[in-house]
Amino acid sequence: MSRVLAVLEQRDGALRKVSHEVVTGARRLADAFSNSTVDALVMAAGAVRGADAVGGFGADKVITLTNAAFGTYAPEGYARTIVDRVKAGGYDAVVFAASATGKDLAPRVAARLGRPLAQEVIDVAVESGAVIAIRPVYAGKALLKIKIAGSPAVLSLRPNVFTPVQRPKAGAAEAAAVDGSAGRVVVKQIKAAPAGTLDVAEAPIVVSGGRGLKEPANFKVLEELAAAFGGRAAVGASRAVVDAGWRPHADQVGQTGKTVSPTLYVAVGVSGAIQHLAGMRTSKVIVAINKDKDAPIFKVADYGIVGDLFEVVPKLTEEIKKLHG
Amino acid sequence: MADRGEGRGERFVPAQYQPPLPLDRLILKNGAVGAGDRMDLDVLIVGAGPAGLACAIELAQLAKRDNSDLNIGVLEKAEALGEHSLSGAVVNPRAFRELFPDVPAAELPFRGSVKHERVCLLTSRATIPLPTPPTMRNAGNYIASLCEVVRWLGARAEALGVNVFTGFPAASLIVDGQRVAGVRTAATGLDRDGQPLANYMAPNDLVAGVTALAEGTRGTLSQAWIQWQNVGAANPQIYALGVKEIWETKRPLDTIVHTLGWPLPTDAFGGSFMYPLEPNLVALGLVVGLDYRDAGLDVHALLQRMKQHPLFRQYLEGGEMVEWGAKTIPEGGYYSVPARRSGEGVVILGDSAGFVDVPSLKGIHYAMQSGMFAARTIFQALKANDPSAERLADYDRLVNESFIMKDLYRTRNMRLAFKDGFYVGGAKAAVMTATGGRIPGGKIAVESDAEVERRLTPGASPGITPDGKLTFSKVDGVFKSGNATRDTIPVHLVVGKDVPTDVAEFYAHLCPAGVYEVAQGTLRINAPNCVDCKATDVLGPRWTPREGGSGPKYKRM
Amino acid sequence: MKIAVCIKRVPDSETRVKIAPDGKSIDEAGVKFILNPYDEFAVEEALRRKEKAGAGEVVVIALGPAAAQETIRTALAMGADRGVLLQAERIPADGLQTATALAAELKAGGYDLILFGKMAIDDYNHQVGPMVAELLDLPCVTTVAHLEIETGKGTAEREIEGGVEVVEFPLPAVLTTDKGLNEPRYPALKGIMAAKKKPLEVKPTTIAAGGLDVVALMPPPERQAGKIVGEGAAAVAELVRLLREEAKVL
Repeated sequence: MSRVLAVLEQRDGALRKVSHEVVTGARRLADAFSNSTVDALVMAAGAVRGADAVGGFGADKVITLTNAAFGTYAPEGYARTIVDRVKAGGYDAVVFAASATGKDLAPRVAARLGRPLAQEVIDVAVESGAVIAIRPVYAGKALLKIKIAGSPAVLSLRPNVFTPVQRPKAGAAEAAAVDGSAGRVVVKQIKAAPAGTLDVAEAPIVVSGGRGLKEPANFKVLEELAAAFGGRAAVGASRAVVDAGWRPHADQVGQTGKTVSPTLYVAVGVSGAIQHLAGMRTSKVIVAINKDKDAPIFKVADYGIVGDLFEVVPKLTEEIKKLHG
Repeated sequence: MADRGEGRGERFVPAQYQPPLPLDRLILKNGAVGAGDRMDLDVLIVGAGPAGLACAIELAQLAKRDNSDLNIGVLEKAEALGEHSLSGAVVNPRAFRELFPDVPAAELPFRGSVKHERVCLLTSRATIPLPTPPTMRNAGNYIASLCEVVRWLGARAEALGVNVFTGFPAASLIVDGQRVAGVRTAATGLDRDGQPLANYMAPNDLVAGVTALAEGTRGTLSQAWIQWQNVGAANPQIYALGVKEIWETKRPLDTIVHTLGWPLPTDAFGGSFMYPLEPNLVALGLVVGLDYRDAGLDVHALLQRMKQHPLFRQYLEGGEMVEWGAKTIPEGGYYSVPARRSGEGVVILGDSAGFVDVPSLKGIHYAMQSGMFAARTIFQALKANDPSAERLADYDRLVNESFIMKDLYRTRNMRLAFKDGFYVGGAKAAVMTATGGRIPGGKIAVESDAEVERRLTPGASPGITPDGKLTFSKVDGVFKSGNATRDTIPVHLVVGKDVPTDVAEFYAHLCPAGVYEVAQGTLRINAPNCVDCKATDVLGPRWTPREGGSGPKYKRM
Repeated sequence: MKIAVCIKRVPDSETRVKIAPDGKSIDEAGVKFILNPYDEFAVEEALRRKEKAGAGEVVVIALGPAAAQETIRTALAMGADRGVLLQAERIPADGLQTATALAAELKAGGYDLILFGKMAIDDYNHQVGPMVAELLDLPCVTTVAHLEIETGKGTAEREIEGGVEVVEFPLPAVLTTDKGLNEPRYPALKGIMAAKKKPLEVKPTTIAAGGLDVVALMPPPERQAGKIVGEGAAAVAELVRLLREEAKVL
């Protein structure tokens, strides 16, 4: 029988949603092994709200390990705890989320176990008993298929890929206190991200506007949409509106290919060809909103809505807000 | 921006709207404030193209044989070697053989020898084979990528101890009285308003006993020096603009092809080339003289049209365009070469001096040879501690007595004959070839490109709607040139005052990179798009050096 | 301060990825190689820390083929003092193998700080730094975007979802650097010249066997043709659904 361990994340005593994806991915891997169980593990200072739900995503058992020092992420303490559990449990695979924490924790666990790590995986399979993982490389311009021999396989899963599917099932729950300190590296606090400092060139999501906005004040509509993405979106501006003084230079979405690299680019009231769109075509998603159905941007966009941006964008803002709850 | 009302159909002369070269910025007195570091070299070479690198290599080899030490520095504005180099190219290997006598042919940086060649006259539908003109016979020559040639030469130069500084454009000449003392590089890290950013780096002054200007086509400092020193030439230099693409093709090509005729209008000089770097890696381009009459002519658009011709289409269909680029070519030949290419503390090499033979489409081996001659002269001059104009004039003598000027003399009027248009020019050229240049003899006088009157002839230059598969927009082209210039960079182009709408549109058609756009009646300048082809400098706003690493990043052009 | 910076030679981010005949790696013909951009932040930070301390040494270490010497020279041109190339024919796909080789080299170095870029722009592995830390049993903080160092300890800030984690750690430590930590300097002309004379030791290195094998390098799935989802505000719900379920960006 194979056993897969899914490492969950909590913050402030509540389970983070990405944990559902980790369990989903772990379940997929376990099913590929056939006849396997999925144990979900979360470390915290006390009980974790939402931990009991993961049975519905495929976990056979949820284990909560508590330690006064585990309320916030304690890299060394968490790593040590997980490694002890993995060794004791004889797991064939250990699965993390490729979140900020996961990408930090997974390598520590892998190195301690003397095992390789497949980071930011988008698909998993099992062939002849070995775990096969697929992960994007070269900024998504290629996919790498790797085979991990030996046990356990350690993986982190890219967020937003293993879409959680809920089943009417509950898992068993287990809780235990663990000893030990947080370790030498101590998280003192989590501060709010400084507002409005997301650089248009860095942001994972860019909402960009052109002259179709009609006047500078109307950029508010885009600012609201950007805000709805919860700090991950920046507002960009076409060269025309920057030259007209509507928006600061720093907001200009580049003419040349280098300066923009978002995962999602929403072009609002932007009609024409922009050089960097050629560069984005290989790996990013472009959405266009324009009232002219023949605007060249629709040829470049993956998804388009033809319509009045002053109607479409507020509705989009509303829907995004719902998603992010 | 002024509008002359009925702008359509009126004639204009581009020179009227062109500002002069900003000599006050391009020529600085030695010791002028503003520089950060100062570096002393024995020889400073501006430009790491074939001329500059051949010069550096020959100098290093001479020093080595002489057991002496020469501190040689080469400044290159591109971020890495080869990134601003673009040519057809079919290379005459003689300069390579002379510079690298011990390197076997198989190790030279060429893609393959020319096995077959064709010259054709195109009409909109047909391909009419022509006998290959004697000036264009390429047996014994090699197909090459100039980028690869430059990277190869650069590696050898560095192995010989030459300091190659990439990402450092020379922005001004530094002079001591009438002597060229060196150059000042461009500053890095300025914002659009010229204010320093966090990673600002001040310009550097590099001073040397001799400075060799090897800036390539339409070199800014070369022009500045020639103007400052009032060096004349029988004719002004004239230029052509070439736009080039590299394609991965499904169908293999095993012959080099040159065409004349369609899609060029009969009052424009030029033609196309198509060369196999590999059977399925094809370089092709269209070259058009910048003395064309129709203000709406757009070389990039013409190239896109040209690709739809069955001759090209059969190879390109189903393939993928992997690179795009553009560059001007000095076409004036013998009579446009400056009377002297040397002076106090300075020599001018390669394309900057106009050593290009248009009828055979050759310039690389002349560039390298001029670099080698310059090296020999410089070496002797430094040894004698005498980098004076008299001493350095030896370089001119070497060039004049060599095959460089002999070749250029033989074809001295061929390109110029085409000023009369395709058919008359063609006839004249045929006579010249048959008589080895003797008939018609004498110099054909020409005016500079900017002095040639333009007029918009509606319908003469239809635009194209790019399909994104075979034909592409300028914006897509610039992307494929690898251009990732910082968007907040200061504008490096100097525009004339009160440019009327029709002249602005002329600029928009002229520039292959879409730097100029006419939007809502204003001239908009997308300076970061610039790929340094210099067409703008010839006919429109003047080009000046900008932050190192800006511009294209050619890989195999 | 004695600081080691581990760097990697990677293909330029604008590289068009062409798969080599072996089906497992990229075709390197015509590829331009550069210093991994995230490593530039690490080199810059090391230089600043040394400058601030007034004394010390910045050593750059790379695992890679002979051509990686050029990459090390770039770091030397920025101002690093010396370089070490652990020469191996290929950089392994398994980050643990890389970490093992680097850890062996770093072990006896007596470094106050060991810096890495957070990840390499070719493999996106995001792991070698913390793995080296584990192998050397050193404290480690990853993706550092802000750093303060006092005697014997430091405070780092790192971006997490919806916030910034403030982390304290003792020295010596391993840190991996993220964009925003600093603005890397361009090599100055004098720096480029000086770099040629700085010591660069080349040590042939054998990579130990690993547990991870590359099966294939594949092109990404074909991009679907774009579609107009609908008209007006009524199409928004469908757009959001597609972005979530099909494009998987939300």
